[in-house]
Amino acid sequence: MIRDITIGQYYAQDSSIHKLDSRTKLMGVLIYIVALFLVKNPWWYLLLFAVILALYRLAKVPYGYLLRGLKGIVILLIFTFVFRLISTPGIPVAQLWIFTITGEGITKAISLTVRIALMIIGASLLSYTSTPRELADGLEKAFGFLEKIHVPIHDMAVIVMIAFRFIPILIEETNVLMDAQASRGVEFEKCSVWKKCRNIFSLLLPLFLSAVRRSSDLAMAMEARGYSGEGETSRMYPLRYHSGDRIAYVLMFLFLAGVIVMRVVNIY
Amino acid sequence: MMRIERLGFTYSKNTVDECRVLEDISFHIQEGEFIGLIGSSGSGKTTLIKHLNGLLKADSGAVYFQGQNIYDKGYVLSKLRKEVGLVFQYPEHQLFGRTVLADVCFGPQNLGMSKEEAEKSARDCLELVGINESYYHTSPFELSGGQKRCVAIAGILAMQPKILVMDEPAAGLDPETKHMIFDLVEEIRKKRNIAIVLVSHHMEDVAYYANKVLVLHQGRLVLTGEPEEVFTKTEFLREIGMDVPQITSVTEKLMKEGFPMVNPAITVKEAEERILKVFRERGGAE
Ligand SMILES: Nc1ncnc2c1ncn2[C@@H]1O[C@H](COP(=O)(O)OP(=O)(O)OP(=O)(O)O)[C@@H](O)[C@H]1O
Ligand SMILES: [Mg+2]
Repeated sequence: MIRDITIGQYYAQDSSIHKLDSRTKLMGVLIYIVALFLVKNPWWYLLLFAVILALYRLAKVPYGYLLRGLKGIVILLIFTFVFRLISTPGIPVAQLWIFTITGEGITKAISLTVRIALMIIGASLLSYTSTPRELADGLEKAFGFLEKIHVPIHDMAVIVMIAFRFIPILIEETNVLMDAQASRGVEFEKCSVWKKCRNIFSLLLPLFLSAVRRSSDLAMAMEARGYSGEGETSRMYPLRYHSGDRIAYVLMFLFLAGVIVMRVVNIY
Repeated sequence: MMRIERLGFTYSKNTVDECRVLEDISFHIQEGEFIGLIGSSGSGKTTLIKHLNGLLKADSGAVYFQGQNIYDKGYVLSKLRKEVGLVFQYPEHQLFGRTVLADVCFGPQNLGMSKEEAEKSARDCLELVGINESYYHTSPFELSGGQKRCVAIAGILAMQPKILVMDEPAAGLDPETKHMIFDLVEEIRKKRNIAIVLVSHHMEDVAYYANKVLVLHQGRLVLTGEPEEVFTKTEFLREIGMDVPQITSVTEKLMKEGFPMVNPAITVKEAEERILKVFRERGGAE
């Protein structure tokens, strides 16, 4: 039921991947995605898949979590596959009603779908191994140069942080409201789908109200403590590169270089 | 009316942060009883009362209401929830109606009363808790904290429960409102012969109103009995981090100083009577 939503994806573990700086991991995901777009021969996806499997193992995240990230985009994957399959020109191999399936279509469809899936799996690893706070910090640092051209990166990072912070609060609030409503005769478990929808809808209004109330309280509390959004704030946990990050960067660039060389030389 | 048998409960069962909160709890609630449930913070009081109307399901033991096990297959929990009204800790966070009146009507209407009946019941209960008619059509969020609490209590009373469970109803209320609410609850208890379960950190209130006290400590019931029995075990209570009513401490000290009393008193009235009696006897002797 709605009670069991887990939105924070962080999977707490003590692994070398978890210990990496979030900027390193962001760069890693970027490189992985670039690599996905560089390779041409679909067989190479197997190698990239093996890489990500090894990284999951290293991060001590169970393989069951691989598919979790894909659940949300299953529809997208199916659409991509089908449309690529029927809309690629080439040598026809089969005819389905008015659609022609081509040999090129089959390879293209498979590689595109796999590419998207691997992209998601890679990005999920990032969210399993970094807390929202680390991610927001990392993003802020990584895009910090944009402040120079007056893009309010710092403010955006604070907004993102607070948004993350509110998720558990809202879940808690939902539980409290559901308990309160259940105590006053609302059935959440044993009732028709229609009734269920109505019940959930009746949760939304108070939830929304309380979110607004909470955020105005928070804004007031922040202002009361002198937060103005201007000036440099110090950090509780400053981001710092360690030796592990250096090793990771070297490995990542070697990997990228390898993929580029392969692409340029065009061996396979 | 209700019987709790060897109840045990664990939060987040079968996960890493599994946490055993209740262990082997047995007691019963009878018509017309006023039960005080006390225990230090985190001892599991809120968790325990959430079992009384089936919001939480125990993982061992059973709860019987009017002879029926509420965990039996086919038992309709919403019926139980009409009979066992739960006023939560900080009930003001749990108002959700568009207007005060609508919020109070919510319970009775859900439980099958017609619109008119529900509204009548709601108006009666709002009047009982002292909410003025001029507030009926404002949003509950515009009331003060104490008023919100009164509305929340009215919302439960309007369902006319047989057992009224209140989790710290008095925290943050001014003394006058607090006594008004307690007196009101007491009056309803006598009139309708319902049972009250009061969770409170305020020993004076428990000593004054309750006629049975349960002491919870680290998820176990460590002491049950009449208030006189429980509160005179001052040493034991202090040992588990609980307080006793102030007047009990005072009379206990008096006794230590040699004042002729058999037991420490637990309410001011009782202390007064006993002390006066001693002085009268002395006066008579001289
Ligand atoms: N939703 C929850 N998930 C996990 N553990 C919980 C949850 N709610 C409470 N607990 C734990 O259960 C224990 C008992 O909590 P409970 O709320 O019943 O205490 P309480 O006696 O009502 O305290 P208080 O007097 O402060 O209200 C606490 O140790 C708490 O950490
Ligand atoms: Mg509590």
